[in-house]
Amino acid sequence: MSFQRKRKKYSKDIKCILFPDDDVKVGARKMGIEPSIITNSASNSWERCGDSFLNTPLIKNLSSSGKKWQHVRQQSPAQAQGGGPHYEEEEPVHIAWSSSDSELSDGEAQAKQPAPPPPSHTGAQQHSRPRGPAASKQSYSRALRRLCTETHCPDDLLKIDPDSDSEVADDVEEENISECGSERYIVEPNQSFPKLTTAEDPDISDYPSDEEGDSADTPTQSCLEAVAVKGGTRSVSDWVRSAQAALQTPQKQTTKNAKTPEDSHKKKITFQRGGLAERLNRLQSRQRSAISFWRHQSISCTNRSSAVHKPGVLVLEVLSVQEESCMQMALCEHHPPATDQHRPPSNTSITTADQDNLSATDHTLPPSGPVRARVLVLFNKETVGQLAPAPGDVIYVYPPWQSLMIDGQHNTIILNTHFSQKVYSDTKQASRVLVPVVKCSPYSLARTFHQVEFNKTLPVGHGIVQKVSAQSLCCIGGSVTRRSSRWDSLLEAIEGLGQAGPLGRGVEVVVQRVYCTPVREQSARASLKSRVLGRSPTVPPSVQNSKNRLCALVQDSYGMFSVVQLHLLPSEDQLHLYSSKWQGRTCILRAIKVVQRVTRERYSRLFSLIDSLWPPPMSLKIDGGTQNVHNDSRPKGPAPSFCYFLSGQESSVEPVEGEPVSTLYLRPTVQTLRDILECELSCHCCSFVATVIHSRIQYHSGDVAQVPGEVWLIVTDPSLQQPEVPPCRRTLAVCMTTSCVLTSSVAKAISTPGVCYMSFRDAVKEHGVILCVEQSVVQLQPLVCCPQTESQGGAVSGSFPQTLQQASSQPVRLDPLSPETSPNSLCTVTGRIVSVDEDTAYSWPICNMCGSDRLETAPQKTKAFHCVACDSLVDRPTVKMHLEVFINCSTVKESTVKIKLQQSTIKSLLNAASPGQEFPGYEVENVLGRELGPLSSYVRMVTRKPTLWISLEEICL
Amino acid sequence: MTDYEMTSCLSAVADQLLKEVQKTYQEKTQIPDDLLIALRFVFGSCALQALDLIDKRSVTCVSSFSGRRAYQVMGGSGLLYTCYTSCHYCPCPAFTYTVLRRNDSLLCKHILAAYLSQAMGLSQQETVSDQQMSSILSGRAAATDT
Repeated sequence: MSFQRKRKKYSKDIKCILFPDDDVKVGARKMGIEPSIITNSASNSWERCGDSFLNTPLIKNLSSSGKKWQHVRQQSPAQAQGGGPHYEEEEPVHIAWSSSDSELSDGEAQAKQPAPPPPSHTGAQQHSRPRGPAASKQSYSRALRRLCTETHCPDDLLKIDPDSDSEVADDVEEENISECGSERYIVEPNQSFPKLTTAEDPDISDYPSDEEGDSADTPTQSCLEAVAVKGGTRSVSDWVRSAQAALQTPQKQTTKNAKTPEDSHKKKITFQRGGLAERLNRLQSRQRSAISFWRHQSISCTNRSSAVHKPGVLVLEVLSVQEESCMQMALCEHHPPATDQHRPPSNTSITTADQDNLSATDHTLPPSGPVRARVLVLFNKETVGQLAPAPGDVIYVYPPWQSLMIDGQHNTIILNTHFSQKVYSDTKQASRVLVPVVKCSPYSLARTFHQVEFNKTLPVGHGIVQKVSAQSLCCIGGSVTRRSSRWDSLLEAIEGLGQAGPLGRGVEVVVQRVYCTPVREQSARASLKSRVLGRSPTVPPSVQNSKNRLCALVQDSYGMFSVVQLHLLPSEDQLHLYSSKWQGRTCILRAIKVVQRVTRERYSRLFSLIDSLWPPPMSLKIDGGTQNVHNDSRPKGPAPSFCYFLSGQESSVEPVEGEPVSTLYLRPTVQTLRDILECELSCHCCSFVATVIHSRIQYHSGDVAQVPGEVWLIVTDPSLQQPEVPPCRRTLAVCMTTSCVLTSSVAKAISTPGVCYMSFRDAVKEHGVILCVEQSVVQLQPLVCCPQTESQGGAVSGSFPQTLQQASSQPVRLDPLSPETSPNSLCTVTGRIVSVDEDTAYSWPICNMCGSDRLETAPQKTKAFHCVACDSLVDRPTVKMHLEVFINCSTVKESTVKIKLQQSTIKSLLNAASPGQEFPGYEVENVLGRELGPLSSYVRMVTRKPTLWISLEEICL
Repeated sequence: MTDYEMTSCLSAVADQLLKEVQKTYQEKTQIPDDLLIALRFVFGSCALQALDLIDKRSVTCVSSFSGRRAYQVMGGSGLLYTCYTSCHYCPCPAFTYTVLRRNDSLLCKHILAAYLSQAMGLSQQETVSDQQMSSILSGRAAATDT
C-alpha cells in the first residue's frame, strides 16, 4: 500500500492538530517567509514533543517488522537534524499527531519554561546546530518520553463520559468539552485511540497538513537521504532503538486506556431497589455475558450451514446501510428458510424471538413469497464493529432478536441484533471497503416523539390546564369497570404490580371486614384518664385529634387475603359508614401499593381472624382456571399462611354497583359468652354482645406522666347469669389492647358509672383471656334494638340486646372468691376481718362543694378550711377515709386476702364500732372480728407463691 | 423504503417504542423485560439512567394556567433541568456533547426520563403561575423553589 493512500486515510480519522505556533508557521511558510524562523518555532514544537521520549525505557527487542523500521528511520533523522528546509515542511505534521488537544496548554507552558530535566537541552539549541550521535540519542530518549507521556492525552478525552450519572461530573466534562471545543479535537472515545496507535508509524513520519498535498513525499525522501549522510549508522541505530520503544510503549498504554470508557460506566451509583433501572441493569449484564459467550462460541463454531435450519435465525441479505447517531440501519431482504411457518402479526407491535419462544420467531415478519420481505435491521455500535455490514453481505441474526412495527409503515424493524454473524461477504468487498457508510443527518430536534400524547394534552387556545396526572394515566382502562380490565387474583395483581408503582388495573375482591387501627397511642386514652380521675385534664382532650386508619380485610376469589390500609378517618364514627358501604360487597381495588408480606407466625392475631373466615362459604377458583368450579366436595385446604399488607387511599376501594352481598362474605358469628368460654380452641376469634359491668384502665409510667395502657372490661351476658344452667363463670374479663381503637363513645360509656352494652367484633380469645386487638371493633350497643342494625354489617347485632335488657333489671351475679380467681376479674367476697393495714389507714378532709382535697386552714375560723380549687370557705369538710383490711375468707383457705374497702363500707364499720359518735376515729380492736360481705370486689392482684395472696378492691356495681 | 424514511428511521423507532411503553404500562402497569431491553438497544446507556430517574420520581411536569407545559428533571446531583415539550433540548452537558455535537445519541437521559415518565404517568404534577412559567422556560427559575 502506498504511503500516499495511508496518509490520506488517516488524515481523515485524525484531524490535523497543530500547535498554535504551528498555525502561524504553516501560514508563514505558504507566504514564503524566511525558513529560519520557521525552523526555530518548528523545533520548539518538536522539542515539546521530544521531551517526552527522555525517560522512556529503551526496549531491546528489535523484532518489529522492517516496514515499521523504515518509517521510523524516515521520521527520526529528520527530527534529529532539526534544521533544514525539508524538515520544516514535515515538522508541524509530527507534532500534530503526537500532542493531543488537551495537552496543548501544557505543551505551551513547557515550551515557555525550561523543559523538565535535563533543562539545558532546549529545542532551539538542539535543532539550530547539528549534534553528535550521543546528543541525538539523548534528545530522542527525551522525545520518546514525551511521546509516551503524551499518549496519555487522549486518555483525558476518553474519560469523557457523556452518560455519566452525576451532574457534577457532567459539569467537569463540560469543561473538558469546551477545552476541546473546536471540531478537529473531537476524538471518538472508543475508536480513536486504538487508531492512533496502530497508525502511528506512517503518521509520525509523514502526516502532512492537507494543504501540502502530494508534494509531501519528495521532501521526506530527500530528508531521509540527508539523514543517512549526516547522522551516520550509529545514530540511526540509536534512533531505531528509541523509536522501537516509541512503538512499543503506546501499545501497552492502549490496552490500559481502551478500558477507560468501559470503566467509567462502572462508577454507578446504586439503583433503587426493585426499580426499573435495577431490573434493566440486571438484564443488561445478563445480556452482556450472553453476548460475550455467544461471540466466543460463534468464533469456535464454524458450521454455519446448520444455523440456517435452526428456528428463529433470520437470514438477511443486506441491500443498503445507513448510519444514524452511532447506529447502523441496514435495509435487508429476508430469506426465510423453507421450513418457516408464518403467522399473522400479533397485537403488540414489539415481539421478541428467543430460544424459549422459537415458534413465534418469524411471525412478525411479513410472509415471504416471490417478493422477498424487506426488513430494516438496526445494529448498534458494538455489533457494527464486529459485523461491518455492507451491501451484498448475508447476515444471520440469531435469537433473541426483537421486531418492531412502526405505525403507518410496512417495514418491520429488527432490534436487539446482538447475536449477528456475517456469513457471506460480497466478492467485491475489497473495492468496497473504503466506501464510507452513508451518514444520515441528525433528526430534527423540533420533531418530538410521542406526538399523539403531546397533542392530546396540549389544548391550544383554551385557558385550561389539562393535567395528565398519575392517576388519570394509570387508570386509563382501569376506571372502566369492565371485567376484562381487572384481575381477579390478588397475587396476580401484586405480582403484576411488580416494582413499577401503584396498581393501575383493578383487582376484584370481597371486603370481609372493615376496621380501624389507632395511629397514635395517646389520644382517646388521655382524655379518658382525665375523666376517670375526675380532675381537670392536664392534657387537653385529644379524642378529636386521634387518628385512626381505616383498614379493610379483603379476600379474592382464590381465597387469598390482604389487609388494605386506607386513609385516616377524620372521625371514628365514619367507620360505621364505611362498614355499611363496603363490608360484604365485591369491590375493585385500585392504586394499591404493597407494604408488607406477613406470615401466620408473626401475625397470629390477624390469622385468627382469617381462620374464622375459613373455609370460605363458596368454592374457590383454582389457579389457572377462570371459571368457578361448583364442586363443594372438593376440600378447600388449609387457610393461607401468609397475606399482604397493602396501602391505598379512600378511592382505592370501589364497590361494584348493583351487586348484592357477595357469597364469599362470612359475617361475624355472634356467640354467647358461655359458648366462647366452652370453646376448646386455645386461640380463636369471637364476636359477642355483652354487658360491661366494670372497667379498669391500667397505666404505664411514661416519660412525663402515666400513659394509659390496656383497658380491662368485666363483661357478662345472660348466658353466664342464668341460674339454672350448670355452674360456670359469671363474668369474663376482656382486655382491650392499645392496638384496638377505643372510640370516644366507648371511652365515655366506660368512664361513667353504671352498666353499658357493647358489641365486640372479632376479638381474640387467647389462652383463656379475651383480647380486643387491631382487627377488633368495639362499639357501644344501643339498648333498644333497632331493626336497621340487623341489615348493617358493621355492628354485631342480634337478639341479645333484648335479653340483656331483661337481664339488666336483675342484679349481676358474681363468682365467689376462689383459689382459681384470676386477676382483673370480679368476685364476691365474704369474710371476717383479721387484721387492719394500719400503714395505709388514714383519713383526710375534702371540700364538700367540689370534692377537691386542696384545702388550707382558714385564717378566720379555726375549724374551717379554705378550698383552693373552688375558692370557698369550707365549714364542714367531708372526711374521706382509706382502709384496707385482711380478711379470713371461708372459700379461700390458707391464704392472705386483703381488701380495700369503699367509703360507705368503712363508715358503716366505724359507725357500728362506736355508735353515737359521728367521727370518733377508731380503735383497731373495734374492727377486728367483724364480718364483712358479701362484697363485690375487683381482683387487683393474685400471687400464688409462696402462698396464695389476693388483693381485692371493693367496687360498687 | 425511501431515503426519507431511512433518514427518520431511528427517531421513528424511538417514537414507536415510547408508544409501546405507554400502551404496555396502561395495560399491565409494568414494563416487561423485552421492552426494557429494546429501550436499552435504541437509547443506549441513557435508558438505564433515565429509568433510574423514573424510579426516583425525579420528573415533574410543570404546567401554567395558560396551558404551557414543561418538564423539570431533577438530576443526580440535585440540579434541575428544564426540558421542553415542543422540541428536544436539555441544558445538560451530555445533551450538548452526545446529542448536539457528536450525534451519538438520540436524547439525553433527562429528556428520555421525561418521555418515559409521561408514558407511564409517573411524573409529579405541579401548577405554577404564568410568571413562574415564563421564568422556567427562559431558564431562570425552578418551579420547585416556589
